[in-house]
Amino acid sequence: MSTTPVIEVERLNLTYGDFHAVKDLSFEVRPGELYALLGTNGAGKTSTLEVVEGHRRPTSGTVRVFGHRPDDRQATRPRMGVMLQESGFSPDLTVRESVGLIGRLTRRTDDVDRVIDLVDLTGRAGRKVSQLSGGEKRRLDFATAVYGTPELIFLDEPTTGLDIQSRDAVWATVDRLRENGSTIVLTTHYLEEAQQRADRIGLMHQGVLHREGTVSELTRTLPGVIRFSLATPMPPLPLQADVDVDGKVTVESFELQKDLHLLLGWAQAHAVELRDLAAGPTRLDDVFRAISN
Amino acid sequence: MLSIASSELIQVFRNRLILITSLIIPVAVSAFFVRQHETYAALGSLGYIAAIVTFTVAAFGLYATAVTTLASRRQNLFLKRLRSTAESDPGILAGLLLPVLVIAAVQVAAILTALAVVAGGPSNVALLVVAILATLAMLIGLALATAGLTNSPEHAQVTTLPVTLGVIAVTTWVGISGTENLAWLKRLLPGGAATELIMNAWNGGVAVTDSLLLLAPTLGWVVIAVNLATRLFRWEPRR
Repeated sequence: MSTTPVIEVERLNLTYGDFHAVKDLSFEVRPGELYALLGTNGAGKTSTLEVVEGHRRPTSGTVRVFGHRPDDRQATRPRMGVMLQESGFSPDLTVRESVGLIGRLTRRTDDVDRVIDLVDLTGRAGRKVSQLSGGEKRRLDFATAVYGTPELIFLDEPTTGLDIQSRDAVWATVDRLRENGSTIVLTTHYLEEAQQRADRIGLMHQGVLHREGTVSELTRTLPGVIRFSLATPMPPLPLQADVDVDGKVTVESFELQKDLHLLLGWAQAHAVELRDLAAGPTRLDDVFRAISN
Repeated sequence: MLSIASSELIQVFRNRLILITSLIIPVAVSAFFVRQHETYAALGSLGYIAAIVTFTVAAFGLYATAVTTLASRRQNLFLKRLRSTAESDPGILAGLLLPVLVIAAVQVAAILTALAVVAGGPSNVALLVVAILATLAMLIGLALATAGLTNSPEHAQVTTLPVTLGVIAVTTWVGISGTENLAWLKRLLPGGAATELIMNAWNGGVAVTDSLLLLAPTLGWVVIAVNLATRLFRWEPRR
C-alpha cells in the first residue's frame, strides 16, 4: 500500500473577521488509518474539516487531499464520501431518491438498495426524508457517505442520536470498509468510540493541535487511577491517596500494576475490604479534562 | 446536472406551494389576459398582452420560484450536500434552475400560442423568441442575486416583491403609454426595453435593427444581476 498521505495539512490558518479559529495547524492522515480529530467545543475541528472537505477556503496554509486541492471536486470527490454533521437532505425526496441522487453525483457506482439495506432503511426506502426520525436521517447520511465504497470517508459525529443497535451497525460497516483499505476521518463526542477505534488521535484546543498520537501515547501522559471505598478507619494506606469524608479513596499512579499489587497485598495483610474497587488506565475523557485545566 | 434537474422536477410536483405559485397563478393570470384580449389590446396593443403575459410568468413562475427554491435548498443544507459531491457549482445551479426555467418557457410558449390562435400571431417570431429568452435570462440572473439576500423560503415572499412588482409595473407603464415620452428612462428600467422589444416583435412596424438595439439594456441587466449574484450568493446559511 502507498504511504503517501491521503490528507496533508500544512500550517493551516483560518480566521473569521478578527477571530482566529485555526492557528498554524499541521497534520496528515495516512492510507488505511482511522484518524480521530477531537476537540473541545469551539476548538476549530469543524472549521478544519470544512477546509479539508473543500467547503471553505483556508486563510493561509496548504491542504491536499489525494495530492489535490480539496476544492478540485472532479479529482477528489469520486474518491471520498462525506457524512455531514447536519442533515442536508431535501424533505420532499424519498430515501431511495436521495441515496440515488447523491450517489450518482459522487460519480461512484453502487446498488442503491444494497446501500439502503446496509443502514437498515429498506423498510423506509419509499418514505420521504421529512418523515424520518433524527436517527434515521443520520443513517441515510451515512449511507450516502459509503455509497460506492470510497477510499476516504469523513464521519462527522456519525453516531450522535443513534440507538445502540444502529451504532453497532455503523461501526460494523466501518470495520468492513477498513478491511477493504478505506481511510476514515472521524469526529465524535463519544470518546470511548475514538478510544476503541482510532489508530491516531489529533486533539484540538483553541485552534491548535494540542496533542497528537495513538490512544496509549495520549493517555500515557496522565496517571492511571485506582478507586475504592473504605468502611471504617484503617491502618495507614501504603500509597499516596486522596480520601474524602465518605471514605472514598482515589489513588493516581504511573505504575498501575505495581501500585495495585502493593495495595492488594496491604488489604490482604490487614483483612481490609476494598469496596467498589476499580482500577484502570487513564481514559481519553481525563486527557480532555486535563486540557482545560 | 441532469440528475439534480430531474430530482428538482419531482420536488416541484410534490410541493403544493411551489406548484401553485409557479404553475397555477401565472397560468390563471395569463388566461385572463388572453380571454380579455380585446379590452387590453384597446388599452395598449396585442404586443402589450404578449409582454405582460411573458413578464407574469417570468416574474412569478420563474423568478419568485427560483428564489424560493434556492433559499429553501440552502436553508436545509441541501446545497452544502450537493457541494460535497463531484458536481461543479455551475452544474449544481443549472440543475436546480433548469426545471423552473423549462416550465416557464413552456408556459410562455403555450400561452402566447393561445393568444396567437384567438387574436392573430406575432409579426416576427424569431425576434419574439430572442426577446423572451433575454427576459428569462434577466430574471434568472436577478433570482440568483436576490437569493443571496434571502434567508429562508418565507423570507423570499418579501425579498422578491421589489423585482416582481417592479417589472410588472414597468411592463404595464411601457406597454400602455409607449416610449414616445421618457424613452430612455423606460428603456433603462429593468424589463422596459424587453417589453418594447416583445411589443415590436408582436405588432411589427419597427425595423429589426432598431429593435435589436433594445436587447442591450436587457443584457446589461443580465450582466449586472450575475455580477451581483457572484458577490451576494451564499451556499450555506448564515450562522
